[in-house]
Amino acid sequence: MPPTAADAQGGGYEGGEFGPGTFYTEQSSALLIYEEAGGRVMAIEPGATLTAHGEYGEQLSFGLTIDAVSGATPNGAVPADQSQTFVTPLKIHGSCSTVTTASGGSQVVCLPPTQGQLNSAERVYKTPPNTLPVDKGFSDRRVGFAMSYAQPLGPLSEAGLGAGYSLERDYQAITANGHITQNFNADDTTLSLSINSEIDSSFPYGGIPAPFSQMDPHFKPVTARQKTQLGFVVGWTEVVTRNWLMQLNYSFDSQSGYQTDPYRFISVVDAVSGEPLNYLYENRPGSRVSQSGFWENKFDFGPTVTDLSLRYYKDSWGVVSKTAELSERINLGQRSYIEPSARWYEQSAANFFRYYLTNAQALPGFASADTRLNAFTSTTFGLKYGLRITPRTELDFSGGYYRQIGNGHPADAIGQLKQQNLFAGTDAAFFLVGYNWDFH
Amino acid sequence: MHRFVATRAKTLARAILAGALTFTVAGCGTIGPDPWQKDLMAKREMQPDPYPMETAAAEHIYFSKEASSGGRGFAGGGCGCN
Repeated sequence: MPPTAADAQGGGYEGGEFGPGTFYTEQSSALLIYEEAGGRVMAIEPGATLTAHGEYGEQLSFGLTIDAVSGATPNGAVPADQSQTFVTPLKIHGSCSTVTTASGGSQVVCLPPTQGQLNSAERVYKTPPNTLPVDKGFSDRRVGFAMSYAQPLGPLSEAGLGAGYSLERDYQAITANGHITQNFNADDTTLSLSINSEIDSSFPYGGIPAPFSQMDPHFKPVTARQKTQLGFVVGWTEVVTRNWLMQLNYSFDSQSGYQTDPYRFISVVDAVSGEPLNYLYENRPGSRVSQSGFWENKFDFGPTVTDLSLRYYKDSWGVVSKTAELSERINLGQRSYIEPSARWYEQSAANFFRYYLTNAQALPGFASADTRLNAFTSTTFGLKYGLRITPRTELDFSGGYYRQIGNGHPADAIGQLKQQNLFAGTDAAFFLVGYNWDFH
Repeated sequence: MHRFVATRAKTLARAILAGALTFTVAGCGTIGPDPWQKDLMAKREMQPDPYPMETAAAEHIYFSKEASSGGRGFAGGGCGCN
Protein backbone atom coordinates (compact mmCIF):
# COMPACT_ATOMS: atom_id res chain seq x y z
CA MET A 1 0.00 0.00 0.00
CA PRO A 2 1.14 3.58 -0.53
CA PRO A 3 3.19 5.09 2.31
CA THR A 4 1.29 7.52 4.48
CA ALA A 5 1.60 10.52 6.75
CA ALA A 6 1.47 8.28 9.78
CA ASP A 7 4.42 6.34 8.44
CA ALA A 8 6.27 9.63 8.46
CA GLN A 9 5.39 10.06 12.11
CA GLY A 10 7.52 7.10 13.01
CA GLY A 11 5.67 4.07 11.73
CA GLY A 12 4.00 3.35 15.03
CA TYR A 13 7.08 2.99 17.12
CA GLU A 14 6.88 4.67 20.45
CA GLY A 15 10.08 5.08 22.39
CA GLY A 16 13.53 6.15 21.30
CA GLU A 17 15.07 2.74 20.60
CA PHE A 18 12.93 2.07 17.55
CA GLY A 19 11.63 4.35 14.84
CA PRO A 20 13.16 7.18 12.79
CA GLY A 21 16.84 7.72 13.28
CA THR A 22 17.56 4.22 14.55
CA PHE A 23 18.54 0.99 12.89
CA TYR A 24 16.21 -1.87 13.67
CA THR A 25 14.54 -4.86 12.02
CA GLU A 26 10.88 -5.67 11.89
CA GLN A 27 9.64 -9.22 11.48
CA SER A 28 6.03 -9.94 10.63
CA SER A 29 4.65 -13.41 10.03
CA ALA A 30 1.24 -15.04 9.75
CA LEU A 31 -0.27 -18.46 9.25
CA LEU A 32 -3.66 -18.61 7.57
CA ILE A 33 -5.89 -21.68 7.63
CA TYR A 34 -8.95 -21.40 5.41
CA GLU A 35 -11.71 -23.95 4.90
CA GLU A 36 -14.90 -23.79 2.85
CA ALA A 37 -18.11 -25.47 3.94
CA GLY A 38 -19.20 -28.75 2.37
CA GLY A 39 -15.69 -30.13 1.92
CA ARG A 40 -14.77 -27.58 -0.69
CA VAL A 41 -11.47 -25.70 -0.84
CA MET A 42 -9.04 -25.85 2.05
CA ALA A 43 -5.92 -23.72 2.13
CA ILE A 44 -2.93 -23.37 4.42
CA GLU A 45 -0.85 -20.27 3.85
CA PRO A 46 2.19 -19.33 5.94
CA GLY A 47 4.00 -16.08 5.17
CA ALA A 48 6.66 -13.82 6.61
CA THR A 49 8.32 -10.48 5.91
CA LEU A 50 11.55 -9.06 7.24
CA THR A 51 12.12 -5.31 7.00
CA ALA A 52 15.36 -3.59 7.94
CA HIS A 53 15.05 0.11 8.80
CA GLY A 54 18.12 2.32 8.43
CA GLU A 55 19.09 5.46 10.32
CA TYR A 56 18.16 7.76 7.45
CA GLY A 57 14.77 6.32 6.61
CA GLU A 58 16.00 3.48 4.39
CA GLN A 59 13.80 0.37 4.30
CA LEU A 60 14.81 -2.97 2.80
CA SER A 61 12.15 -5.64 2.88
CA PHE A 62 11.91 -9.33 1.94
CA GLY A 63 8.73 -11.39 1.95
CA LEU A 64 7.92 -15.06 1.43
CA THR A 65 4.50 -16.71 1.10
CA ILE A 66 3.68 -20.37 0.62
CA ASP A 67 0.25 -21.64 -0.30
CA ALA A 68 -1.19 -25.16 -0.32
CA VAL A 69 -4.72 -25.41 -1.68
CA SER A 70 -6.84 -28.50 -2.22
CA GLY A 71 -10.45 -29.66 -2.20
CA ALA A 72 -13.49 -29.52 -4.38
CA THR A 73 -14.14 -26.52 -6.56
CA PRO A 74 -17.22 -25.80 -8.73
CA ASN A 75 -16.44 -26.54 -12.37
CA GLY A 76 -19.00 -24.03 -13.74
CA ALA A 77 -21.68 -26.51 -14.84
CA VAL A 78 -25.22 -26.21 -13.45
CA PRO A 79 -26.83 -28.96 -11.32
CA ALA A 80 -29.29 -31.29 -13.03
CA ASP A 81 -31.92 -33.83 -12.01
CA GLN A 82 -29.77 -36.54 -13.56
CA SER A 83 -26.21 -37.70 -13.01
CA GLN A 84 -23.57 -35.76 -14.95
CA THR A 85 -20.16 -36.93 -16.15
CA PHE A 86 -17.11 -34.73 -16.69
CA VAL A 87 -13.69 -35.45 -18.15
CA THR A 88 -10.29 -33.76 -17.89
CA PRO A 89 -6.92 -34.59 -19.46
CA LEU A 90 -4.50 -36.74 -17.54
CA LYS A 91 -0.85 -37.58 -18.12
CA ILE A 92 0.12 -41.19 -17.65
CA HIS A 93 3.60 -42.32 -16.75
CA GLY A 94 4.26 -45.89 -17.81
CA SER A 95 1.49 -48.18 -18.99
CA CYS A 96 -2.13 -47.13 -18.66
CA SER A 97 -4.69 -49.17 -16.81
CA THR A 98 -8.18 -48.09 -15.84
CA VAL A 99 -8.37 -47.51 -12.08
CA THR A 100 -10.39 -45.56 -9.55
CA THR A 101 -8.34 -42.96 -7.74
CA ALA A 102 -8.61 -42.12 -4.12
CA SER A 103 -9.29 -38.44 -4.77
CA GLY A 104 -13.03 -38.21 -4.64
CA GLY A 105 -14.00 -41.14 -6.79
CA SER A 106 -12.44 -39.91 -10.02
CA GLN A 107 -11.72 -42.65 -12.50
CA VAL A 108 -8.74 -42.86 -14.81
CA VAL A 109 -9.71 -44.08 -18.26
CA CYS A 110 -7.11 -44.93 -20.91
CA LEU A 111 -7.53 -43.24 -24.28
CA PRO A 112 -6.46 -44.67 -27.65
CA PRO A 113 -2.98 -43.35 -28.48
CA THR A 114 -2.98 -40.37 -30.81
CA GLN A 115 -0.09 -38.80 -32.68
CA GLY A 116 2.31 -37.31 -30.16
CA GLN A 117 0.16 -38.37 -27.20
CA LEU A 118 1.24 -41.88 -26.31
CA ASN A 119 -0.11 -43.20 -23.04
CA SER A 120 -2.83 -40.58 -22.94
CA ALA A 121 -5.69 -40.91 -20.48
CA GLU A 122 -8.62 -39.00 -19.06
CA ARG A 123 -9.82 -38.43 -15.54
CA VAL A 124 -13.56 -38.98 -15.28
CA TYR A 125 -15.73 -37.83 -12.39
CA LYS A 126 -19.46 -37.98 -11.90
CA THR A 127 -21.85 -35.64 -10.13
CA PRO A 128 -24.99 -37.15 -8.55
CA PRO A 129 -28.45 -35.76 -9.46
CA ASN A 130 -29.45 -32.42 -7.91
CA THR A 131 -25.89 -31.68 -6.81
CA LEU A 132 -23.58 -28.80 -7.71
CA PRO A 133 -20.87 -30.17 -10.02
CA VAL A 134 -17.47 -29.84 -8.38
CA ASP A 135 -14.06 -31.14 -9.35
CA LYS A 136 -12.61 -32.86 -6.31
CA GLY A 137 -9.24 -33.25 -7.94
CA PHE A 138 -8.33 -29.59 -7.41
CA SER A 139 -4.94 -29.13 -5.81
CA ASP A 140 -2.25 -26.48 -6.11
CA ARG A 141 0.90 -25.19 -4.46
CA ARG A 142 2.28 -21.67 -4.62
CA VAL A 143 5.49 -20.00 -3.58
CA GLY A 144 5.65 -16.21 -3.68
CA PHE A 145 8.67 -14.02 -3.05
CA ALA A 146 8.78 -10.22 -2.86
CA MET A 147 11.38 -7.59 -2.06
CA SER A 148 11.43 -3.81 -1.92
CA TYR A 149 13.70 -0.92 -1.09
CA ALA A 150 12.78 2.68 -0.22
CA GLN A 151 14.56 5.75 1.08
CA PRO A 152 14.30 9.56 1.09
CA LEU A 153 15.51 10.85 -2.26
CA GLY A 154 16.47 14.49 -2.88
CA PRO A 155 13.42 16.66 -2.36
CA LEU A 156 11.15 13.61 -2.11
CA SER A 157 10.17 12.31 1.30
CA GLU A 158 10.50 8.78 -0.04
CA ALA A 159 11.07 6.89 -3.26
CA GLY A 160 11.00 3.12 -3.55
CA LEU A 161 11.12 0.14 -5.87
CA GLY A 162 9.81 -3.39 -5.44
CA ALA A 163 9.56 -6.70 -7.28
CA GLY A 164 7.77 -9.97 -6.76
CA TYR A 165 7.67 -13.48 -8.17
CA SER A 166 4.97 -16.09 -7.64
CA LEU A 167 4.96 -19.64 -9.01
CA GLU A 168 2.16 -22.19 -8.97
CA ARG A 169 1.90 -25.51 -10.78
CA ASP A 170 0.01 -23.84 -13.60
CA TYR A 171 0.62 -20.10 -13.16
CA GLN A 172 3.48 -17.65 -12.88
CA ALA A 173 3.33 -13.95 -11.94
CA ILE A 174 6.15 -11.42 -12.11
CA THR A 175 5.48 -8.00 -10.59
CA ALA A 176 7.44 -4.75 -10.43
CA ASN A 177 6.39 -1.56 -8.68
CA GLY A 178 7.64 1.86 -7.68
CA HIS A 179 6.40 4.72 -5.53
CA ILE A 180 7.16 8.28 -4.53
CA THR A 181 5.75 10.20 -1.58
CA GLN A 182 5.92 13.77 -0.39
CA ASN A 183 5.01 15.08 3.04
CA PHE A 184 3.59 18.56 3.56
CA ASN A 185 2.03 20.66 6.26
CA ALA A 186 4.38 19.71 9.09
CA ASP A 187 4.07 16.08 7.92
CA ASP A 188 0.33 16.04 8.56
CA THR A 189 -0.29 15.55 4.85
CA THR A 190 1.21 12.91 2.57
CA LEU A 191 0.64 12.55 -1.14
CA SER A 192 1.81 9.41 -2.88
CA LEU A 193 1.94 7.90 -6.33
CA SER A 194 2.52 4.18 -6.79
CA ILE A 195 2.84 2.33 -10.07
CA ASN A 196 2.54 -1.43 -10.50
CA SER A 197 3.16 -3.70 -13.47
CA GLU A 198 2.65 -7.43 -13.77
CA ILE A 199 3.31 -10.11 -16.36
CA ASP A 200 1.46 -13.38 -15.77
CA SER A 201 1.74 -16.70 -17.57
CA SER A 202 -0.98 -19.33 -17.42
CA PHE A 203 0.08 -22.88 -18.34
CA PRO A 204 -2.87 -25.02 -17.25
CA TYR A 205 -2.75 -28.76 -16.90
CA GLY A 206 -4.08 -30.10 -20.17
CA GLY A 207 -3.26 -26.97 -22.17
CA ILE A 208 -5.32 -23.95 -23.19
CA PRO A 209 -8.80 -24.90 -24.48
CA ALA A 210 -10.11 -23.03 -27.50
CA PRO A 211 -12.87 -20.59 -26.48
CA PHE A 212 -16.27 -22.31 -26.35
CA SER A 213 -14.81 -25.62 -27.48
CA GLN A 214 -16.50 -28.74 -26.12
CA MET A 215 -15.24 -30.48 -22.98
CA ASP A 216 -12.36 -32.61 -24.21
CA PRO A 217 -10.01 -35.00 -22.36
CA HIS A 218 -7.17 -34.58 -24.86
CA PHE A 219 -4.20 -32.34 -24.29
CA LYS A 220 -4.51 -29.09 -26.22
CA PRO A 221 -1.78 -27.90 -28.58
CA VAL A 222 -1.53 -24.41 -27.04
CA THR A 223 0.14 -24.82 -23.67
CA ALA A 224 0.50 -21.26 -22.31
CA ARG A 225 -0.93 -17.76 -22.62
CA GLN A 226 0.10 -14.46 -21.07
CA LYS A 227 -1.53 -11.48 -19.41
CA THR A 228 -0.02 -8.07 -18.71
CA GLN A 229 -1.19 -5.57 -16.15
CA LEU A 230 -0.41 -1.92 -15.48
CA GLY A 231 -1.88 0.16 -12.70
CA PHE A 232 -1.36 3.08 -10.40
CA VAL A 233 -2.61 4.33 -7.03
CA VAL A 234 -2.76 7.99 -6.07
CA GLY A 235 -2.99 8.39 -2.31
CA TRP A 236 -3.71 11.22 0.09
CA THR A 237 -3.26 10.69 3.80
CA GLU A 238 -4.11 13.31 6.39
CA VAL A 239 -3.59 13.48 10.13
CA VAL A 240 -6.81 15.44 10.56
CA THR A 241 -6.79 15.82 14.33
CA ARG A 242 -4.77 14.42 17.20
CA ASN A 243 -6.89 11.25 17.13
CA TRP A 244 -8.16 11.04 13.54
CA LEU A 245 -6.19 9.64 10.60
CA MET A 246 -7.70 9.59 7.14
CA GLN A 247 -6.59 7.99 3.89
CA LEU A 248 -8.08 8.43 0.44
CA ASN A 249 -6.88 6.40 -2.56
CA TYR A 250 -7.77 6.36 -6.21
CA SER A 251 -6.68 3.25 -8.13
CA PHE A 252 -6.59 2.55 -11.83
CA ASP A 253 -5.70 -0.78 -13.34
CA SER A 254 -5.58 -2.17 -16.86
CA GLN A 255 -5.22 -5.86 -17.69
CA SER A 256 -4.69 -7.25 -21.15
CA GLY A 257 -4.33 -10.82 -22.37
CA TYR A 258 -5.58 -14.24 -21.27
CA GLN A 259 -8.08 -13.88 -18.41
CA THR A 260 -10.22 -16.95 -19.05
CA ASP A 261 -10.36 -19.77 -16.51
CA PRO A 262 -9.02 -22.72 -18.54
CA TYR A 263 -10.65 -25.34 -16.29
CA ARG A 264 -14.12 -23.84 -16.11
CA PHE A 265 -17.12 -25.09 -18.11
CA ILE A 266 -20.45 -23.56 -18.95
CA SER A 267 -23.41 -25.87 -19.46
CA VAL A 268 -25.41 -25.87 -22.68
CA VAL A 269 -28.95 -26.97 -21.77
CA ASP A 270 -32.08 -27.84 -23.69
CA ALA A 271 -34.08 -24.62 -24.11
CA VAL A 272 -37.31 -26.29 -22.89
CA SER A 273 -36.38 -29.03 -20.41
CA GLY A 274 -33.24 -27.39 -19.02
CA GLU A 275 -31.45 -30.73 -19.21
CA PRO A 276 -27.69 -30.49 -19.87
CA LEU A 277 -26.71 -31.33 -23.45
CA ASN A 278 -22.98 -30.63 -23.35
CA TYR A 279 -20.31 -28.52 -21.69
CA LEU A 280 -18.19 -25.78 -23.27
CA TYR A 281 -15.02 -24.16 -22.02
CA GLU A 282 -15.76 -20.58 -21.00
CA ASN A 283 -14.48 -17.44 -22.77
CA ARG A 284 -13.75 -14.03 -21.21
CA PRO A 285 -12.72 -10.71 -22.77
CA GLY A 286 -9.01 -10.10 -23.14
CA SER A 287 -9.16 -6.58 -21.74
CA ARG A 288 -10.26 -5.39 -18.31
CA VAL A 289 -9.95 -1.86 -16.94
CA SER A 290 -10.87 -1.15 -13.34
CA GLN A 291 -11.04 1.88 -11.09
CA SER A 292 -11.65 2.15 -7.39
CA GLY A 293 -11.91 4.72 -4.65
CA PHE A 294 -10.90 3.75 -1.13
CA TRP A 295 -11.49 5.83 1.99
CA GLU A 296 -10.23 4.75 5.39
CA ASN A 297 -10.61 6.50 8.72
CA LYS A 298 -8.99 5.64 12.04
CA PHE A 299 -10.16 7.18 15.28
CA ASP A 300 -8.34 6.80 18.57
CA PHE A 301 -10.79 7.13 21.46
CA GLY A 302 -8.44 6.33 24.31
CA PRO A 303 -8.87 2.64 25.08
CA THR A 304 -10.41 1.93 21.67
CA VAL A 305 -9.41 2.45 18.05
CA THR A 306 -12.13 2.47 15.42
CA ASP A 307 -11.26 1.66 11.81
CA LEU A 308 -13.89 2.39 9.16
CA SER A 309 -13.18 1.95 5.46
CA LEU A 310 -15.30 2.20 2.34
CA ARG A 311 -14.48 1.15 -1.20
CA TYR A 312 -16.24 1.68 -4.50
CA TYR A 313 -15.04 -0.42 -7.44
CA LYS A 314 -16.04 -0.42 -11.08
CA ASP A 315 -14.62 -2.23 -14.11
CA SER A 316 -15.12 -2.59 -17.85
CA TRP A 317 -16.64 -6.07 -17.41
CA GLY A 318 -19.66 -4.44 -15.81
CA VAL A 319 -18.79 -5.34 -12.23
CA VAL A 320 -19.64 -2.62 -9.72
CA SER A 321 -18.93 -3.33 -6.07
CA LYS A 322 -19.23 -1.59 -2.73
CA THR A 323 -17.32 -2.61 0.37
CA ALA A 324 -17.60 -1.41 3.96
CA GLU A 325 -15.37 -2.60 6.78
CA LEU A 326 -15.54 -1.73 10.44
CA SER A 327 -13.33 -2.88 13.29
CA GLU A 328 -13.06 -1.79 16.88
CA ARG A 329 -9.87 -2.45 18.79
CA ILE A 330 -10.50 -2.52 22.52
CA ASN A 331 -7.41 -2.46 24.69
CA LEU A 332 -7.59 -4.72 27.73
CA GLY A 333 -4.96 -2.99 29.81
CA GLN A 334 -1.41 -2.48 28.56
CA ARG A 335 -0.70 -5.92 27.16
CA SER A 336 -3.69 -7.27 25.31
CA TYR A 337 -6.66 -6.30 23.19
CA ILE A 338 -9.63 -7.74 21.39
CA GLU A 339 -10.84 -6.55 18.02
CA PRO A 340 -14.27 -7.50 16.66
CA SER A 341 -14.70 -6.73 12.97
CA ALA A 342 -17.37 -6.82 10.29
CA ARG A 343 -17.19 -6.54 6.52
CA TRP A 344 -20.01 -6.12 4.04
CA TYR A 345 -19.49 -6.52 0.29
CA GLU A 346 -21.86 -6.37 -2.65
CA GLN A 347 -21.10 -6.81 -6.34
CA SER A 348 -23.10 -6.76 -9.55
CA ALA A 349 -22.59 -9.45 -12.19
CA ALA A 350 -20.15 -9.15 -15.07
CA ASN A 351 -22.06 -8.42 -18.25
CA PHE A 352 -21.03 -11.77 -19.76
CA PHE A 353 -21.95 -13.88 -16.72
CA ARG A 354 -24.41 -16.65 -17.58
CA TYR A 355 -25.66 -19.44 -15.35
CA TYR A 356 -25.87 -21.54 -18.53
CA LEU A 357 -26.38 -21.31 -22.29
CA THR A 358 -29.24 -22.91 -24.23
CA ASN A 359 -29.23 -24.77 -27.52
CA ALA A 360 -31.79 -22.31 -28.90
CA GLN A 361 -29.47 -19.32 -28.76
CA ALA A 362 -26.41 -18.36 -30.77
CA LEU A 363 -23.16 -18.35 -28.82
CA PRO A 364 -22.52 -14.95 -27.23
CA GLY A 365 -19.18 -13.21 -27.72
CA PHE A 366 -18.13 -14.08 -24.18
CA ALA A 367 -19.63 -16.15 -21.40
CA SER A 368 -18.59 -17.44 -18.00
CA ALA A 369 -20.49 -19.25 -15.26
CA ASP A 370 -17.86 -18.41 -12.63
CA THR A 371 -19.66 -17.52 -9.38
CA ARG A 372 -17.07 -14.84 -8.72
CA LEU A 373 -18.50 -12.96 -11.69
CA ASN A 374 -22.11 -13.39 -10.53
CA ALA A 375 -24.03 -10.83 -8.48
CA PHE A 376 -23.87 -11.55 -4.75
CA THR A 377 -23.46 -10.11 -1.31
CA SER A 378 -20.90 -11.33 1.15
CA THR A 379 -20.49 -10.74 4.86
CA THR A 380 -17.55 -11.45 7.14
CA PHE A 381 -17.56 -11.38 10.90
CA GLY A 382 -14.31 -11.75 12.77
CA LEU A 383 -12.70 -11.52 16.17
CA LYS A 384 -9.06 -10.98 17.02
CA TYR A 385 -7.15 -11.31 20.27
CA GLY A 386 -3.72 -9.75 20.54
CA LEU A 387 -1.15 -10.18 23.26
CA ARG A 388 1.98 -8.09 23.72
CA ILE A 389 4.52 -10.58 25.03
CA THR A 390 7.27 -8.00 25.34
CA PRO A 391 7.20 -4.28 24.49
CA ARG A 392 8.35 -5.19 20.95
CA THR A 393 6.81 -8.62 20.46
CA GLU A 394 3.18 -9.30 19.72
CA LEU A 395 1.26 -12.50 19.12
CA ASP A 396 -2.30 -12.48 17.88
CA PHE A 397 -5.02 -14.94 16.99
CA SER A 398 -7.99 -14.16 14.81
CA GLY A 399 -10.84 -16.08 13.32
CA GLY A 400 -13.69 -15.24 11.03
CA TYR A 401 -16.63 -16.52 9.07
CA TYR A 402 -17.22 -15.52 5.45
CA ARG A 403 -20.59 -15.99 3.79
CA GLN A 404 -21.74 -15.42 0.20
CA ILE A 405 -25.42 -14.83 -0.49
CA GLY A 406 -26.67 -14.87 -4.08
CA ASN A 407 -29.65 -15.68 -6.23
CA GLY A 408 -29.85 -19.43 -6.80
CA HIS A 409 -33.25 -19.29 -8.47
CA PRO A 410 -33.19 -16.70 -11.28
CA ALA A 411 -36.65 -15.79 -12.58
CA ASP A 412 -35.81 -16.91 -16.12
CA ALA A 413 -34.63 -20.40 -15.17
CA ILE A 414 -36.04 -23.05 -17.51
CA GLY A 415 -37.32 -26.60 -17.09
CA GLN A 416 -35.60 -28.67 -14.41
CA LEU A 417 -33.29 -25.74 -13.57
CA LYS A 418 -36.19 -24.08 -11.74
CA GLN A 419 -35.82 -26.77 -9.08
CA GLN A 420 -32.05 -26.36 -8.72
CA ASN A 421 -30.00 -23.96 -6.64
CA LEU A 422 -27.89 -22.29 -9.33
CA PHE A 423 -25.83 -20.12 -7.00
CA ALA A 424 -22.45 -21.76 -6.46
CA GLY A 425 -21.26 -19.43 -3.70
CA THR A 426 -19.82 -20.69 -0.48
CA ASP A 427 -19.39 -20.19 3.24
CA ALA A 428 -15.89 -20.30 4.67
CA ALA A 429 -14.19 -20.17 8.03
CA PHE A 430 -10.66 -18.96 8.56
CA PHE A 431 -8.18 -18.85 11.38
CA LEU A 432 -5.04 -16.78 11.50
CA VAL A 433 -2.06 -16.58 13.83
CA GLY A 434 0.17 -13.53 13.55
CA TYR A 435 3.54 -12.83 15.12
CA ASN A 436 5.31 -9.46 15.01
CA TRP A 437 8.73 -8.83 16.46
CA ASP A 438 11.00 -5.78 16.26
CA PHE A 439 14.65 -6.18 17.17
CA HIS A 440 18.06 -4.57 16.81
CA MET B 1 -37.95 44.82 -6.20
CA HIS B 2 -37.35 41.36 -7.62
CA ARG B 3 -34.22 42.61 -9.33
CA PHE B 4 -32.95 44.05 -6.03
CA VAL B 5 -33.58 40.78 -4.21
CA ALA B 6 -31.87 38.82 -6.96
CA THR B 7 -28.83 41.13 -6.84
CA ARG B 8 -28.63 40.82 -3.05
CA ALA B 9 -28.90 37.04 -3.31
CA LYS B 10 -26.09 36.91 -5.87
CA THR B 11 -23.91 39.15 -3.71
CA LEU B 12 -24.58 37.01 -0.67
CA ALA B 13 -23.81 33.84 -2.59
CA ARG B 14 -20.52 35.32 -3.82
CA ALA B 15 -19.63 36.39 -0.29
CA ILE B 16 -20.32 32.88 1.04
CA LEU B 17 -18.28 31.34 -1.78
CA ALA B 18 -15.38 33.74 -1.20
CA GLY B 19 -15.54 33.12 2.52
CA ALA B 20 -15.56 29.37 2.03
CA LEU B 21 -12.60 29.57 -0.35
CA THR B 22 -10.67 31.80 2.03
CA PHE B 23 -11.42 29.47 4.91
CA THR B 24 -10.38 26.46 2.86
CA VAL B 25 -7.12 28.00 1.61
CA ALA B 26 -6.23 29.45 5.00
CA GLY B 27 -7.33 26.26 6.69
CA CYS B 28 -4.97 24.18 4.59
CA GLY B 29 -2.07 25.71 6.44
CA THR B 30 -3.43 24.92 9.84
CA ILE B 31 -5.30 21.65 9.41
CA GLY B 32 -4.06 18.83 11.58
CA PRO B 33 -2.27 18.74 14.92
CA ASP B 34 1.10 20.24 15.69
CA PRO B 35 4.09 17.88 15.93
CA TRP B 36 3.92 17.73 19.73
CA GLN B 37 0.27 16.62 19.51
CA LYS B 38 0.94 13.44 17.50
CA ASP B 39 1.48 11.05 20.36
CA LEU B 40 -1.51 8.93 19.37
CA MET B 41 -0.33 8.69 15.75
CA ALA B 42 2.84 6.98 16.98
CA LYS B 43 0.88 3.98 18.24
CA ARG B 44 1.06 0.85 16.11
CA GLU B 45 -2.70 0.50 16.00
CA MET B 46 -3.03 3.98 14.48
CA GLN B 47 -0.93 3.03 11.45
CA PRO B 48 -3.01 2.54 8.29
CA ASP B 49 -1.79 -1.04 7.97
CA PRO B 50 -0.20 -2.11 11.27
CA TYR B 51 -0.26 -5.85 10.49
CA PRO B 52 0.59 -6.13 6.78
CA MET B 53 0.92 -9.91 6.64
CA GLU B 54 -2.51 -10.33 8.16
CA THR B 55 -4.02 -7.74 5.85
CA ALA B 56 -2.43 -9.58 2.91
CA ALA B 57 -3.94 -12.89 4.07
CA ALA B 58 -7.43 -11.37 4.34
CA GLU B 59 -7.11 -9.63 0.96
CA HIS B 60 -6.00 -12.95 -0.51
CA ILE B 61 -9.23 -14.60 0.68
CA TYR B 62 -11.40 -11.86 -0.77
CA PHE B 63 -9.44 -11.68 -4.01
CA SER B 64 -9.89 -15.41 -4.58
CA LYS B 65 -13.66 -15.33 -3.95
CA GLU B 66 -14.78 -11.96 -5.38
CA ALA B 67 -14.50 -10.02 -8.65
CA SER B 68 -13.02 -6.85 -7.13
CA SER B 69 -9.51 -6.23 -5.96
CA GLY B 70 -7.34 -3.28 -5.01
CA GLY B 71 -8.32 -0.02 -3.37
CA ARG B 72 -6.10 -0.18 -0.33
CA GLY B 73 -3.27 -1.03 -2.69
CA PHE B 74 -2.83 -2.33 -6.21
CA ALA B 75 -5.46 -4.40 -8.00
CA GLY B 76 -4.61 -8.00 -8.82
CA GLY B 77 -2.91 -10.40 -6.53
CA GLY B 78 0.36 -11.31 -8.15
CA CYS B 79 -0.93 -14.86 -8.46
CA GLY B 80 -3.42 -16.99 -10.36
CA CYS B 81 -5.79 -17.14 -7.42
CA ASN B 82 -8.71 -15.60 -9.26
